[in-house]
Amino acid sequence: MARAAALAAARSGRRAGAFSLGPALAVPAALLVAAFLAAPLAVLFRYSLNRYSPREFMIDAVTAENYIRFFTDAYFIGVLATTVQVAAVCTAVSLLFAFPLAYLLARTDSRWKSALVIAVVFPLMVGNVVRAAGWMAVLGNDGIVNHALLGLGLVTQPVRLMYTPFAVHVGIIAVVLPYMILTLQSVIEGIGRDVEEAASNLGAGPITVFRRVLLPLSLPGVIAGSTLVFILCMNAYATPVLLGGPQFKMMAPALYDQFVRTTNWPFGAALAFILMVSTLVLTVIGTTVLSRRMHHRRLEAAPR
Amino acid sequence: MTRMTIGRRALVGAAAGLLAAPGVPRAQGGGRCVVGTWGGDYQDLLKANIDDPLMKPQGIEVLYDVAVAPPRKTKLLAERMTRRGTFDVACLSDIDMFEMAQQNLFDEPTPDLVPNMRNVIPALAKRYALPHIYSGKVILYNPAKMAKPRSYNDLWDPKLRGRVGLADGLYMQFIETAALINGGSPSNFEPAKKKLLELKALGAKVYPSNEALAAALKGEEVWATIMWLARGFMWKQAGIPVEHAVPEEGATPIVFDKAVPRNAPNKANGWKWMQAMLEPSAQAGFAARMGYVPTVRNATLPEDLAKQISFTEAEQEKFVKIDYQYIADNNAAYLDWWTREFKG
Amino acid sequence: MSELVLDRLRKEYGSFVAVDDVSLHVREGELVALLGPSGCGKTTTLRMIAGFIEPTAGRITIGGRDVTWDPPYRRDTGMVFQSYALFPHMTVAQNVAFGLEMRKVPRAEAETRVRRALDLVRLGHLADRLPRQLSGGQQQRVALARALVVNPGVFLLDEPLSNLDAKLRLEVRVEIRELQKRLGLTTVFVTHDQEEALTLADRLVVLDHGVVQQVGTPEELYEAPANLFVAGFIGRSNVLRGRVVERGRFVTEAGLALAVPTDGFEPGAAALALRPERITVIPGAAGNGVSGRVALVTYLGAATEYRVTLDGGESLTASMATPRPGDPLKRVGAGDVVTLTWPAETCRLLAPDRGAPTDEGGS
Ligand SMILES: Nc1ncnc2c1ncn2[C@@H]1O[C@H](COP(=O)(O)OP(=O)(O)O)[C@@H](O)[C@H]1O
Ligand SMILES: [Mg+2]
Repeated sequence: MARAAALAAARSGRRAGAFSLGPALAVPAALLVAAFLAAPLAVLFRYSLNRYSPREFMIDAVTAENYIRFFTDAYFIGVLATTVQVAAVCTAVSLLFAFPLAYLLARTDSRWKSALVIAVVFPLMVGNVVRAAGWMAVLGNDGIVNHALLGLGLVTQPVRLMYTPFAVHVGIIAVVLPYMILTLQSVIEGIGRDVEEAASNLGAGPITVFRRVLLPLSLPGVIAGSTLVFILCMNAYATPVLLGGPQFKMMAPALYDQFVRTTNWPFGAALAFILMVSTLVLTVIGTTVLSRRMHHRRLEAAPR
Repeated sequence: MTRMTIGRRALVGAAAGLLAAPGVPRAQGGGRCVVGTWGGDYQDLLKANIDDPLMKPQGIEVLYDVAVAPPRKTKLLAERMTRRGTFDVACLSDIDMFEMAQQNLFDEPTPDLVPNMRNVIPALAKRYALPHIYSGKVILYNPAKMAKPRSYNDLWDPKLRGRVGLADGLYMQFIETAALINGGSPSNFEPAKKKLLELKALGAKVYPSNEALAAALKGEEVWATIMWLARGFMWKQAGIPVEHAVPEEGATPIVFDKAVPRNAPNKANGWKWMQAMLEPSAQAGFAARMGYVPTVRNATLPEDLAKQISFTEAEQEKFVKIDYQYIADNNAAYLDWWTREFKG
Repeated sequence: MSELVLDRLRKEYGSFVAVDDVSLHVREGELVALLGPSGCGKTTTLRMIAGFIEPTAGRITIGGRDVTWDPPYRRDTGMVFQSYALFPHMTVAQNVAFGLEMRKVPRAEAETRVRRALDLVRLGHLADRLPRQLSGGQQQRVALARALVVNPGVFLLDEPLSNLDAKLRLEVRVEIRELQKRLGLTTVFVTHDQEEALTLADRLVVLDHGVVQQVGTPEELYEAPANLFVAGFIGRSNVLRGRVVERGRFVTEAGLALAVPTDGFEPGAAALALRPERITVIPGAAGNGVSGRVALVTYLGAATEYRVTLDGGESLTASMATPRPGDPLKRVGAGDVVTLTWPAETCRLLAPDRGAPTDEGGS
C-alpha cells in the first residue's frame, strides 16, 4: 500500500513535470496505516484460519472452521444481532439528541461557547470504566434514579435498571454523544446562517427550514458522525460488560472472552474479523443509503 | 509448539510488538531483574518485602512490567519463539501458570538454584513454578441474614432464593464447586451443569466483576457467595458484612505462582528473586495487607491474623487436589456452557 | 407591493445603540437607499425589517399591517443577501422555486413563474446548474430572481453588488433598477456606495451612527445637504470653517471674506460647503474672485481637478471639464497663480458642529 502510494507519487511527479508535494504528503500516513493497521490485520486474519487446541493453544492450519462455527451457531449469530441492534439504536438516538445540541453550539454567540464545548468534550476525558462506575451509582438499585423514584412514591420497589439492555444503551449513548455533537457542530458551523435566513425569508417555518435546508446540508455531518458513532458502538466493550451484566453479550466482550479467558486465539481472531467486516459492510450500506437520499431529494425537488 | 513453522516467527514477533503493552526497556544482564506482575498493592508489597530488603543488598535492580494477567500471558505466548523475552520472573495464578507451562515456556526450578524451595508446602509445589502465596476457596456469608453454612450444598437452600451472588470471572470455581457436591470430582465437572442450573432456578445472581459483587454484598442485595478467603478477608476489612466458612467438601487452593521463562534475559537474577521470595521474612508481609498465606512451612503469622486467613492442618489435609490439565483442557468448553446455558 | 413604515425603530446591543430611533416611510413602488459608512446600522435596520433581528423599540408596518413581532416567514419580504445565501444543495431552478413552494403555488404555475423569473435575469439556460457552478454575477442574479419571483410586498437588498467587480456592478445595478421599476416593487436598498445610491434610488436615507442624517431625493441631498456629514458623504464638498459676521457675509478662519446667502443663520460660527464642480478656475490674477496658487493638478479624463492654496493659507479643490488644447487653462500647472470664482448661491452654510468625511477642507 505504501509502495503503491510512493510509486503513484513518483509517477505523477514525473508526468506533471511540476513540483507538487501533494502525493508525497500521503506517504507517511500510508506507511503508518500499513504498519499499524494492515500488518496486525493480516496477522489476525491468519490466526483466524488456525485451529485451536486447549493443550497446544494454536495449531497452524488453513481452515474455515472458526467461521463455520460462528455462522452455524445461533448463539453467536444472536450476539452479532444484539451488537448490531444496540449500535443502530444508539447511533439513531445519539443523532436525535446530538443534533439540537450541536446546532445550539454551532449557532450560539455566547461567550460561554468554549465552556460549553469543553463541557461536551469533558466526558471523553473520563475513562469508560470510571464512567460505567458512575452509571452504577446512578442506575443501581440504591442509585440516584431509584432513590428519586422511591422518594417520589412512583414505585414501591427499586426498579432494576442496572444489568439491563436499557443501561447498556444509556451508557453507550453517553459515551458516543460527544463525538456525534462535535462532528455535527463543525458541519453545521460551515452552513451559513444566512442560508437558513433566506429560507425563512422565503416563507419557510422552522420545521421546513430544518427539513429542506439544514438537514440536507448537514447530511455530510450526519453521515460522518453516524459512521464514527456506529463503529464505536459496534466495538463497545467496557460499557456492555459493566452495565449489561454477565447475561448481556456483545461482540467485543465475546471476543475478549475467546482471547483472554480461553486463550482461543483462532476463534477470537475470527470473531474480530467478523465484527470488523460486518461493521464495515453496514457502514458502507448506511452511508450509501443516506447519500442516495441526499441525491434523490435534490432531484425530486426539481420543478420540471 | 513443535508445529510452529519458521515463517510464523515474523508474525509472532509482530504480534508481540503490537499486542504487548509498551513495557520496560529490555534489561541488559548484570544487575537487573524484570518481574512481570500485577500493579497496585501487590507490586508495592513485592517491593517492600522482597526487592528493597533482599535484592537491593545484592546490587540487583528490580524492574516491574505491570499489567493484569491476560496481557502478561499474551506476551509470554507471543515471545515464546524469540531468544530474549521480557520477563525474568512471571507472576500468574496457578491455573494460568499451568496453561502457560503446557507450552513449555519455563525453566524448572531446582534446589540448587533456589535452596528455599525445600520449605515449600508439598501440596503447593509444582514442577514448573514456585508458589508465592496462597489462599483457598470458601463460602462467604452474611451472618446477620443466615446461619453459618457447612457445605456448599447449603447455598442451594430455597430459603436463599435470589440471595446467592456469583462473580462472573470465577465461573470455573462455581463449576468445580457444583461438581464436587453432585458426584463429580476435580477431574470431572460434568455433574456440575445440572446442579448449577438448579442454582440458576433459585435465582442466583451473576455480577460482572468482583467489585460489583462486593457492592451487592455490602448493600445486602445478596447474602452469600463463593470466594477466595483472602478476598473475603479484605472485604471484611472494608466493612462488608461477611464471615467465611470452610466447606466440608474442602477448600480449593488458589496459588500465586512464579516462574522463570526459558528466554529470560537475566535468568540468574530471576532465580535469585525466587530465592528471596521464599524467605520467611518476605512471605509474612503479604498476609496483613492482602490476606494471603505463606507458602513455606518456616514462615509464621501473628496468631490473630492467622486465624482469619489461614487454614488449619485439618483443613489443609482436605484441600481439593486441582487437576490443572483437566481445567486447561475443558476451560473453553465450560466457559461456553457458562455463557450460554447458565447466564443465557 | 405595499408601503413600508418604520416608526422610531431602535436597536441596542447592551449600551451600544446600533440603530437610533429610525423613522421612515417607503411608498409603494418606491426605491429607497439606506446609505452610510460601514457600521452605521444599515444591515441592522434591514434585518429588523426582514424579521431576523428583534427591535429594542419601535414599530414596523408593511402594507398597513404591524409586523414588528412577526417571524420572518410571515412578513412577505423578499431579501437579497450580501452573500447571496443560495441553497447550495439545490439547482438554480429549485432555489428560485423555493419561495413559491412555500406559498403552495400549484406546480404548473410555479414552473412558469420560475422560468419567467430566470428569463428576467437572463439565466434561463442555467436552470439546472448548482450555485457553485455559477460565476459571482450569475449567483447574484439567481438571488435576485429567487427574491423577486414571489412578488414580495417589500424587496430588501443588502449591498447586493459589493461582491461584484466594477463593470458587472454597473450592469447589475441597471438591471435591478429596471426590474424594480417594471415590477413596481417597494424596495429598500442598502449600500455604502454613494454613487450607487444616487443612481438607483428615488430617495436616500443617510445614516450615521445609527441616526438618520437626512432623507431626500438624490438632488435634494446633493444640492441641500442638511449637515456637514451629508455634504461630505454625498458627492464631495470643500468645507471652510468660519463665522457669519452679518447678513450675506461669511469670514473664514483665515480671514477670507465671502458673500454667501445666510438665510436662517444668525451671526456666529458656521461652516461653508462648496462643491468642487461649482468652482471655476481662471488662469492668472483676475479682479473678481479669490486668488491662490495651484498646489496640484489631477487629470481625471473628462474632468481635471485643481487643488489651490488660497492666499490666506486655506485650500479649495476645483473640478473643471478638462480644457481643450489651446485653452489657457491647459497650461496651468503647480505653482501658477489662479483665480477661483463661483456663484454665491451655490455656497451652502451649515452648522459647524460635526466633522465631515471630506477628503479636503479649509482648515
Ligand atoms: N450582534 C451584535 N452585537 C453587538 N453589536 C452589533 C451586533 N450586530 C451589529 N453590531 C454593531 O452594530 C453596528 C451596526 O452594524 P451593521 O448594521 O451591521 O452596520 P452596517 O451599516 O455596516 O451594515 C456596528 O457597529 C456593529 O458592530
Ligand atoms: Mg452591512
